Amino acid sequence: MASTVIGAGITIEGEVTTDEDVVVSGTLRGKLTAKDAVTIEHGATVEADVAGGSLVVAGSLTGNVTAAERVDLQQGARVIGNVKAARVTIADGAQFKGNVDMDV
Amino acid sequence: MASQSSNLSVIGRAARVRGRITGAVDLEVQGYVEGEIAVGGDVTVDSGAMIGSSVHGRRLVVRGAVKGDLTADEAILLEDGARVVGDVRAPRVAIAPGALVRGFVDTGANGSAAPRTARAQAPATRSAPVAVKHVPAPPTKPAAKSAAAPAVASHLAGSAAATPKNAGPRRPPPPVVPALKKAKGQIAKKKER
Repeated sequence: MASTVIGAGITIEGEVTTDEDVVVSGTLRGKLTAKDAVTIEHGATVEADVAGGSLVVAGSLTGNVTAAERVDLQQGARVIGNVKAARVTIADGAQFKGNVDMDV
Repeated sequence: MASQSSNLSVIGRAARVRGRITGAVDLEVQGYVEGEIAVGGDVTVDSGAMIGSSVHGRRLVVRGAVKGDLTADEAILLEDGARVVGDVRAPRVAIAPGALVRGFVDTGANGSAAPRTARAQAPATRSAPVAVKHVPAPPTKPAAKSAAAPAVASHLAGSAAATPKNAGPRRPPPPVVPALKKAKGQIAKKKER
């Protein structure tokens, strides 16, 4: 289980910073910074710039994304913003609008 | 309760939150929160957690440090290890041995009132009826405001040189007196318009 969980029904307006992993099932507006894995689950709403080690998105995300390793946009994800990571995957059925910046 | 991990929200041990946390479900804080917490469910403040603002929930269980008012619809349990600087309001309040509180405790009927944001004045001015021990305040006071003051002051000083209306006490008087009079006249004209 993740060390930090923003559960469904919880809204955070502000800045979240952690050295560990984060799972978002609720709503986050502001900024999210993690050193480890960040998971935005189906049903979650994130309006924030997100930085993390790796990022998995199945929910709704508006904001720029930076990941040290990889970003995976899963089916059902809805992402508006620029994505910068070494590896980026976009699954069939994911909605995405923005720039992709991989280390080419 | 199929997916319990997504129903319980946890602010992890290494996490820092600056901002408001709201919602209708339970919340567990293990890390650092600088901002108001107002949820409809139960709030658990674990040992090692630090909260620098008011907390409201249905039931609160505190084993960590809180600097701010605690309000609950049903009950507040301050357990061993709790350090609270602020007012405690709930229909039922329990302070266990080992819990440290500095603030006003109210078990009146209006514990369900909306969380008040009067924490700036609360702990310092009131006498502490249940003060067990003087608690060193957690270092969560936002004191960064004064950093912006010099920049503003210099900006004001710059504009005052152009139109010296109200130079600050630290500024030397302008060397040329007629210029001052002239500028004052300009200001007066502006005000007349």
